[in-house]
Amino acid sequence: MTAPTLAIRDLTLGFRGWAGQVDVLHGISLHIMKGERVALVGESGSGKSVTARIVLGLLQQLKTARIGGLVAFEGQDLSTLSARQRHALRGTRMSMIFQDPTSSLNPVYRIGSQFHEVLKRAEPGISAADARRKAQAALADVAIPDPARALDSYSFQLSGGMNQRVMIAMALANEPSLLIADEPGTALDVTVQAQTLSLMRALVEKHHTSVLFISHNLGVVREFADRVYVIYKGRIVEHGRSADLFADPRHPYTRALLSAVPRITGGGIPEIDDVSESYFAPMVVHEGCGEPGEVG
Amino acid sequence: MTALLSLDRVSKTFTQGRHEVRAVDDVSLDVIQGECLAIVGESGSGKSTVANMILGIYPPTAGTIAFRGEALPAARTLAHRRAIQLVQQNPLSSLNPKRSIGASLRLPLDVHDLGPRAARAARVGVLLEEVGLPADYARRTPESLSGGQRQRVAIARALACQSDLVVLDEPTSALDVLVQARVLKLLNDLRKGRGLTYVFITHDLSVVRNIADRVAVFERGRLVELNPTETIFSDPHHPYTRRLIGAVPVVTADEVRLRDRLMENDNERA
Repeated sequence: MTAPTLAIRDLTLGFRGWAGQVDVLHGISLHIMKGERVALVGESGSGKSVTARIVLGLLQQLKTARIGGLVAFEGQDLSTLSARQRHALRGTRMSMIFQDPTSSLNPVYRIGSQFHEVLKRAEPGISAADARRKAQAALADVAIPDPARALDSYSFQLSGGMNQRVMIAMALANEPSLLIADEPGTALDVTVQAQTLSLMRALVEKHHTSVLFISHNLGVVREFADRVYVIYKGRIVEHGRSADLFADPRHPYTRALLSAVPRITGGGIPEIDDVSESYFAPMVVHEGCGEPGEVG
Repeated sequence: MTALLSLDRVSKTFTQGRHEVRAVDDVSLDVIQGECLAIVGESGSGKSTVANMILGIYPPTAGTIAFRGEALPAARTLAHRRAIQLVQQNPLSSLNPKRSIGASLRLPLDVHDLGPRAARAARVGVLLEEVGLPADYARRTPESLSGGQRQRVAIARALACQSDLVVLDEPTSALDVLVQARVLKLLNDLRKGRGLTYVFITHDLSVVRNIADRVAVFERGRLVELNPTETIFSDPHHPYTRRLIGAVPVVTADEVRLRDRLMENDNERA
């Protein structure tokens, strides 16, 4: 059996501040096999984005962060790597898509030269002409109608949906084995969001890319992910395949979260507590969804 | 069924140099006393422009807006400003960070000279309790509240001057889903309790389904469909409405069936 693309075991995170340590993650475990799309869903402040930042190796550089537990990328323990080695992974073996595409592109450079930068991460000596050819092919892959024109544009000349596609193309350009998508498309219109997601889905399927999909939108998660981890205040509370979890949510928090989503079939607005003791109930794991190497 | 607010052939054109943008194009609609009218559409559909014209931030280029049967002037009087209030999307940027919650709520009472001066501090406390916050939050700053609590303060401020019409511009889209449910509930209860009228601007159709009485769908500045919420979600007439509903991410199998049925109708009619 090959090692999972990403394995996280008992990950803890605390920030040391002037008033002592604030614990953010209380021992979370998750794994992503090759080509799998896994979602981490939770409210703001639940610890979704810091998890992504640890996987990328960004929080390790922060002096106040206290990180414990294991993060292994393709079988390699990230904590044994130097900062330089972690840097080498980013943009090549793992890449990330952010929430707001327009602000993650630099407005003073053309898309073409930013794309060249991205391609240089994997192939430092790549010529401008080669990069342009590759970039055009990548943009055509994300259904951008006139790739040459897009490459000559600045990000503010393109629409939000276009920018998001450019980001997806850049993130996948170096064929990473892990793609981290932090709330992609939240800043976009629903119709554009739906198109972007189906496009992203088709592309990661084609390249067998593993995806860690971070979102607070349960509807989007249901449509995109194979498996779902629900996170609440730095603890995983439920884990299961998307279909099982949405059909049969078992943890009180997941149930509350699901029932709080307004339905297009109507039914009014439910009465729900935003805090409840029961949300701290132990984790529920659906059948056949244990962490690798665990019993059961 | 009296119209509290009516838009009659309202258009708004923005000019920048020689470039002209028709943000709102010949829109007529009535907002009925006591209803919640949702205005939905994608970005650039003109929904915020409509809101700004209702609030009097800028006048329409053509057409008239009438409130209780009287045309609203371009420069609003104090009485108009008292009657029509706004709740914005991001309460952190719409509340003054240097001003305590109490001072923010007190301001409309002073501006509109409501009630005896000595009773205003107590009135602020009552307002806070009405939106489900403890009265002693008046001493706090916006920074020390959570997103949901801040939005409650913004709602209390819009109600402080006994407004009749509240324009809600994406009031819950910056909130988490559990908090959103509670704020929506509060908005619904306040509307029934105080006999308010809402113009609810949003792009989230699943919220609209559960709070609005009627829905106005905007596409590129044009009003393409205006129908009761039931009709919009069971038998949408305009293909654009069907496309919008078809793109909503949903969480239950029932919803998937509804969406598929609407999209099927779309293909048949096409």
